[in-house]
Amino acid sequence: MDPPPNPNPNPTDAEPQAEAGARLAALSLRGGRDLPPDFEIHEHHLDDDDDDDEGYLTAASRGGSSTCAWKGLRDDDRDGDDVSPPSPSSSGYAGERGSSLDDDPDPEPAQDWPRDKKHLDEDDASSSWRKRKKHFFILSNSGKPIYSRYGDEHKLAGFSATLQAIISFVENSGDHIKFVRSGKHQIVFLVKGPIYLVCISCTEESYEGLRGQLELMYGQLLLILTKSVNRCFEKNPKFDMAPLLGGTDAVFLSLIHAFSWNPATFLHAYTCLPLAQSTRQAASAVLQDIADSGVLFALLMCEHKVISLVGAQKATLHPDDILLLANFILSSESFRTSESFSPICLPRYNPMAFLYAYVHFFDEHTYVTLLTTRSDAFYDLKDSRTRIQNVLLKSNVLTEVQRSLHESALHVEDLPIDPSSQSASQPQSSRDMSSQSLSSEMAIGGPAGLWHFIYKSVYLDQYVSSEFPSSISNRKQQKRLYKAYQKFYASMHDKATGPHKTQFRRDEDYVLFCWITQDFELYAAFNPLADKSQAIKMCNRVCQWVRDLENEIFVYGGSALSWQYHHCWEGE
Amino acid sequence: MGLSAAAAGDGTQLCVFDLRRGQQEGQELDKILFFHPADCPILLQLSVIGLCEGIVTFTRIFSPEEDCEVIESEKRSHVFYQAEPDIWMVLVVEKTKDNESNWRCGALQGILKEAHSLFTMFHGPIRTLLDRQPSAELARGHLRTFLTDYLSDFHVGKKIQFPTYRDSLKERGTIQMLTVPREVALEVQSLTTVLGSCLGNVTCQSLILFEDLLVSTTLPPDDTLNLYTYAVLRLTPRALSSNASSWSYLRKGTSVSAGPTSSSSNGTTAGERYHSRSRDTSPDGQNQMHHNFRPLLREKLSKGKDGFVAADFAATEVRGAVPLTPIIWFQQAEERMYLCIYQHKSLTILLLIPASSLINGEEGIAHVKKQMLENASQKIVTVEQKLTRGWGGENAYHVSGYRYLLVDPDRRVSRASPPGKVTTLAKDSLLALNRLRQEVDLEKSRYRRSDPSHDKDFEVCIRTKNNAWVIAKITRGRELYMALEKGGETLLYASTAVEKFSNRYCEGAFSTD
Repeated sequence: MDPPPNPNPNPTDAEPQAEAGARLAALSLRGGRDLPPDFEIHEHHLDDDDDDDEGYLTAASRGGSSTCAWKGLRDDDRDGDDVSPPSPSSSGYAGERGSSLDDDPDPEPAQDWPRDKKHLDEDDASSSWRKRKKHFFILSNSGKPIYSRYGDEHKLAGFSATLQAIISFVENSGDHIKFVRSGKHQIVFLVKGPIYLVCISCTEESYEGLRGQLELMYGQLLLILTKSVNRCFEKNPKFDMAPLLGGTDAVFLSLIHAFSWNPATFLHAYTCLPLAQSTRQAASAVLQDIADSGVLFALLMCEHKVISLVGAQKATLHPDDILLLANFILSSESFRTSESFSPICLPRYNPMAFLYAYVHFFDEHTYVTLLTTRSDAFYDLKDSRTRIQNVLLKSNVLTEVQRSLHESALHVEDLPIDPSSQSASQPQSSRDMSSQSLSSEMAIGGPAGLWHFIYKSVYLDQYVSSEFPSSISNRKQQKRLYKAYQKFYASMHDKATGPHKTQFRRDEDYVLFCWITQDFELYAAFNPLADKSQAIKMCNRVCQWVRDLENEIFVYGGSALSWQYHHCWEGE
Repeated sequence: MGLSAAAAGDGTQLCVFDLRRGQQEGQELDKILFFHPADCPILLQLSVIGLCEGIVTFTRIFSPEEDCEVIESEKRSHVFYQAEPDIWMVLVVEKTKDNESNWRCGALQGILKEAHSLFTMFHGPIRTLLDRQPSAELARGHLRTFLTDYLSDFHVGKKIQFPTYRDSLKERGTIQMLTVPREVALEVQSLTTVLGSCLGNVTCQSLILFEDLLVSTTLPPDDTLNLYTYAVLRLTPRALSSNASSWSYLRKGTSVSAGPTSSSSNGTTAGERYHSRSRDTSPDGQNQMHHNFRPLLREKLSKGKDGFVAADFAATEVRGAVPLTPIIWFQQAEERMYLCIYQHKSLTILLLIPASSLINGEEGIAHVKKQMLENASQKIVTVEQKLTRGWGGENAYHVSGYRYLLVDPDRRVSRASPPGKVTTLAKDSLLALNRLRQEVDLEKSRYRRSDPSHDKDFEVCIRTKNNAWVIAKITRGRELYMALEKGGETLLYASTAVEKFSNRYCEGAFSTD
């Protein structure tokens, strides 16, 4: 069992020294406390593009600052008991959260939210804590708190013990508790060996949706620690796991945040950055070269979107692993500030073992991740990265990525009136022409009251979604639509009766339409007054539109990536 | 200590417990007011109630204003209903692997609500019984006989069978009405007036049923619902004949010799055992006679030669009252009334005489009955004839091509495809419909919480994997559920079908325009 990757970005630690590694290992991941002050000011980094241009150039010269940290840790099957628990002030990266983490509406909006997300002063006796809309807890089967979204885990020991008592009571009878419902509150339980995960929510999400989120929380935990952490519990049932996750608060917070904006969390598919086919091919070609030289997976990503990804022969990467990996990288500030070499586990690929991830940000948003099984591959991968970088620069890929990031999104207003006549290679250029909606009274959004859609290609395990129109401009509205989709998805994919073929749903907020075939799943949201037959026409048109654009919005078989679901950690 | 060591049988448990009792350590047993099966080991009973109480307390941390509704685990569901403040009823049902146990939480909760409403109608609120006799002997006694008799309706062989997905086109807790043409409606109205004046200066209330369908009522909706439910369970011609047949069936069919109710999984004997135990703990067992009042006991009810249904109840609620006519309590009307049941062919008349106005008990009732026969006989015969003439039989409300359920929750009225027609639906369609109803239940309670005064419209149309359409539509508070198996492929086909149905059978209530 290994500790989590260390985010220590301090350039002075650049020399890969085994001694330093051991020292850092002992620190486990204490997070923000170890960061130099200049890394804690990240409030505006997302808005400050210029900074990062320099960032990737200098980062290269910092080379391997984290390499050493992990060398010594990998096979070091420590108990972890000797790792001192983080002090309350070391509660992860709370201080360096970007302003993008605007999460759940709180009972008292604004206030110090979202900066002090953890609300360490709270515990189960605080009324503010009780009123939080969505709690996540991770605890051990002996009732020891491991993680809580809100409040200080240590103060929640009693509460944690209660949760443990409930779960164990039912477990002892040879049964497994799934959920409890009480008015608008739902308590969802997930038992994974010695680790219990609980969500207490009044967000009206479906049981299936919340359970899926707990599965991802567990996956994130495995990504950091691997499943071999179970061995610690075998040795010592009272094992305190919380210190091993010290400093990873930001990773979990970011994942929880993703539950309310990232469709990948329930679609089990990933999304790509739209790019001209030739540009993507250039990127794929160089990644493929690298993959052939002993890298297991090579991913080029822009934020959460995949630009290109290739895998060694027969190796497959599950979309959930991509999601968890991207979340881990994007929420750990250190990856952005220096090139890193970290042990990580891909829970769907192999929950028992660590891989080694070489991560390097080319600019603020774009980064390459090279995964290998070799713990000594840092310098090889560093060289590979240089090669990749050269190709990307030469073929203008990074510029194109920047352009796409700002321009290439799908807008429902651009939905072509006559799909066959549109080459649609540049959707934004046709926006003005095609925005004459079929029904002018629903001028906001796309034609016939179309507000938004998500299209998932079943074969590719990829999805594409449109931008939100002005009618769904604020976060709250977007989140509400997102939750409606989530519910809709659960309804279509019901275990006992699904998947259904089509569904039409009209409530006060939306008309939702879903269409599932062997090839694709389409989820579309319309104005609640939308006409049914017009809506159906629009859905057909969206599908045609997506097909017309597929070479740009999807990544096609860059390599022999036959996407298959692994169920490594489902069949416990 | 866990739950799975359930007593042999189907694993179904039903318990009633009072959280104001037994709060001292060692006295937990005092919380339990009823437990089925009665032969379940005490430790297991305590364990079930311990979990339920624990969860009730735990959920109140987050939602102090709202009741815990369900604990869902892999093998069972615990369905909660807080019947009265701090008095909880919990139904535990075990799941089978074949999807057959796919039920709807709301439907199971409906059973608990119904049981409690009926209990209250005959015995008054549980809390009142507990206040009257703090040892709880009285409450336990009544609950034991009443719920055991009530559960006997769900027995299929030796097992208890609660509604599953196959019943997703039924709505417990609603009344099925007979649609009556205008001229017959006038006759019924006139009959109601005559019935109302049977006592002279004080107005009597009445319910008139044709077969199992309600024709008219003078009671408020909740009271009507309770009495109607009771009538359909035990008093209508169909119910009376099944009283007889179930009796003979049991006589012939089972080797249990302890009499009819022993079908209710050793109901009487186990009940007695429980009872004697509770008497041990509370020696003050005075009101023994009341325990014999069993309005749900089938074989106590039979139709006499005079047309009145005689109830051989041993005693009534009020001491000294006549044995043959039960007094029931109407919560909404806030009144106690004697219940007289008269039957003419398919017509059942429930005449309710205010208890306060009838001083001379049995004699007074005999007088009212006489008055009723004298004044109303002819009208009863006429109404029965006219209703029979216009009656379309058990498939009267079948609409070809549709399998539907219409619910008007405000009026507590529903109408559905005949059960015989619903069984023709494929399992997949019924499962999908059941699942859809669960979703709609959740949406409805969400709407109620967000703005109780405002009806929210809602529509779902699903094309299932077996190519059926399952549909739910809520418009101005009225609900329509539907399954269409032989239909077109397009959504527009399904919409048109709903539109046609709505225009033709629901006065356009669910139409888009």
